[in-house]
Amino acid sequence: MIDPKNKIDEQMDVAITNGKIFQVAKNISPHQAKKLIDVTGLYVTPGIIDMHVHAFNGTDVDAYIANGLTSLPPDAFTFRAGVTTVVDAGSSGWRNFRLFKKQTIDRSQTRVLALLNIVGNGMVGRYEEQDTTDMNPQQVAYMIKRLFPDIIVGIKAAHYWGDFTQVDRAVQAGNLANVPVMVDFGEHQPPNSIEALFMQHLRPGDIFTHTFSYGPTVRETVVDDSGKVKPFVFQAQKRGIIFDVGHGGGAFSWRQAVPAMQQGFQPNVISTDLHAESMNSGMKDMTNVMSKFLNMGMTLQDVILRSTWNPANVIKRADLGNLSVGSEADIAVFNLRKGDFGFLDVRKTKLKGIQKLEAELTLRAGKIVWDLNGISAPLWEEELQKK
Amino acid sequence: MLSRKLSIAVGVIAGTALFGFLVFLPVILQGQQYDLLIKNGHVIDPKNNIDTIKDVAVGNGKIVKLDNDIPASQSKKTIDATGLYVVPGLIDIHTHVFVGSKADKFADGIYSVSPDDFSFKSGVTTVVDAGTSGWRNFPLFKEQVIDKSQTRVLAFLNIAGSGMSGKPMQEDVNDMNADSAAFVAEKYNDIIVGIKIGHYEGPDRAPFNKALDAGKKLNRPLFVECHLPQYSLEDQLQMMRPGDIITHSYEQVSERMPVVDEQGKVRPFVLMAQKKGVLFDVGHGGAGFWFSQAVPAFQQGLAPNSFGSDLHRFSMNAGMKSMLNIMSKYMAIGMSMEDVVTRATWNPARSIKREDLGNLSEGAVADIAVLSVQKGKFGFIDAGGNKLEGNKKLEAELTVRAGKIVWDLNGLAAQPWK
Repeated sequence: MIDPKNKIDEQMDVAITNGKIFQVAKNISPHQAKKLIDVTGLYVTPGIIDMHVHAFNGTDVDAYIANGLTSLPPDAFTFRAGVTTVVDAGSSGWRNFRLFKKQTIDRSQTRVLALLNIVGNGMVGRYEEQDTTDMNPQQVAYMIKRLFPDIIVGIKAAHYWGDFTQVDRAVQAGNLANVPVMVDFGEHQPPNSIEALFMQHLRPGDIFTHTFSYGPTVRETVVDDSGKVKPFVFQAQKRGIIFDVGHGGGAFSWRQAVPAMQQGFQPNVISTDLHAESMNSGMKDMTNVMSKFLNMGMTLQDVILRSTWNPANVIKRADLGNLSVGSEADIAVFNLRKGDFGFLDVRKTKLKGIQKLEAELTLRAGKIVWDLNGISAPLWEEELQKK
Repeated sequence: MLSRKLSIAVGVIAGTALFGFLVFLPVILQGQQYDLLIKNGHVIDPKNNIDTIKDVAVGNGKIVKLDNDIPASQSKKTIDATGLYVVPGLIDIHTHVFVGSKADKFADGIYSVSPDDFSFKSGVTTVVDAGTSGWRNFPLFKEQVIDKSQTRVLAFLNIAGSGMSGKPMQEDVNDMNADSAAFVAEKYNDIIVGIKIGHYEGPDRAPFNKALDAGKKLNRPLFVECHLPQYSLEDQLQMMRPGDIITHSYEQVSERMPVVDEQGKVRPFVLMAQKKGVLFDVGHGGAGFWFSQAVPAFQQGLAPNSFGSDLHRFSMNAGMKSMLNIMSKYMAIGMSMEDVVTRATWNPARSIKREDLGNLSEGAVADIAVLSVQKGKFGFIDAGGNKLEGNKKLEAELTVRAGKIVWDLNGLAAQPWK
């Protein structure tokens, strides 16, 4: 068991009752349970939190991410990767959040939380996202504090071509609602300074996503041309800026991630930026992104920390991402496969690796929602004989 | 194509002037004649009776050549498939992909799933939607999903006008119209491959007869998806023509008599139907596949003709998982790799009368799956939540759709980042 919050990193049994963690101990008697699963040789962790996805799936064929085909239904990707909670990263804004909730959040088995876009229409399209008259901090704050404090955990600013206006509005809303802001800070020509972003515009606890993207004409990189992590990046992390992976279809390059890891700069949070353009490319799913960091030299304990307890804290949901007694029984069981593997970045270049995480079993609120190899199932011949 | 034309053009120039200097140019350009070359893989192409190590060359989205040793220098991109199987892109003939935002619905609803979310990662390049739409809403299905998918999406058209829109609409006999269905199927005959009957709970034979009527008008197969609790299995099979397809073949649920009886024997009339030419599809789904049926059926000669997954929201995370997982189940039950590939490619292509698909013939569209066989201790779950153990499992390493790489699990096609 690896449970970073409770500093557990050893063999343990876990007992579940009524959808909650009932007991974590060395030797819990099997006779006390209605159902018993042997996970010898596997890793038991809190259900994984993917802090950056786009899940506002809909049928507006003209829309980009809000209510469109680029967003994906979460249940199709989560449980098979050990994920039990996703955070939608600003697909909706205050104008269409209710539709997102009705259509997807309320209908998913996965726990779906959300960052509300500072743009009222969310990610309907690139042009709409430039409209500063639709960036209303007060309205955003009402939506979060008064209406949906249990679902909306922060604010998103993204895809803006101008100066710092969008970020500043988002931070203003963040102050009003007392929630963090996540920034996708690119698409400026020439690029705006990320040092100014980290040191002057964002607050400690705010999130910089797409940390390892490489598109220097429109986005300042964290690693410079000579392969060195820029000194202010370390200072920003020390200041409390949260660095999120947000892999996506265009935002993860080995030429950024590998030197950063070698120089001791680790992302605070590992996440996918799941959407239709990332699902079948280098990203694939959360276990694949986690495995990339394992193969770059991050320890398994650190990988789990950055995909459970860290994101839970960043979104101020300390009830999640841990296996404390009494918490909801969201649990992932992983197999660490050994072999010759390869991992693609967004430029379709490869890093070779020797280990890969695979989700064997996923529990959501105590219910088995994924069982890859039937470790929770009886043999069919034995069941037939009983009849 | 472009490079071949170029090489001819350059050849002409070379022949007329500057001969000594330019003579090597056509050779270099000749070297670019393929876009993609998959080398050293074990090719299984059941249509062409190929089951050996061969190279596969792709150009302009089509299969250009299969040969023993095609030089890598002739291709823009070469993939080493040593130790892997190279097979036609897989065909899943039972899915529900008319995804939309309606709650509690398959047609235009959230019970259906998006094809691209599941296909390529399991080697599938063609899916057939099993009657989620009918003649009334097929155009919406086409606009919203089919035209927007990278996966090739074909469809059985439901005899119910609004497809799987739930009760009472899908039970309305008056809304089942053979002429309307045949009209729409003709209009979209590059997509619609047959007619589906299912989800009718009344005793009236009219729905089945109307579906058959539409199938006859079109000369296309009928896809029988059971959920016809007042029709006996024997009657269903008797009404079906050779080439018609029954799905959920190995289900063990109260709404239909199972194919294997209480003594573990396949019922004689089922074997007779198979002999007559009725095709048995797996149609795994959430409730449609039970080892207690499938294993004895397989042992007694009732192997499935195709591995339709019945992919939808309630099967995707259950025992079904993916068509590759179903194929692996059959390997664990005892089917050979060659037989598994046949039932995932050429068999379904023929059953939907799309012989352009499911093979690697020269000139065919370059839909290709490169599969690895994982060795180890695996388990597979059926609809009853029971397990069968196995020691092999298929994994999709690389998927090519119309010559384009759409899935690359381990970066087979990629260069090292440095």
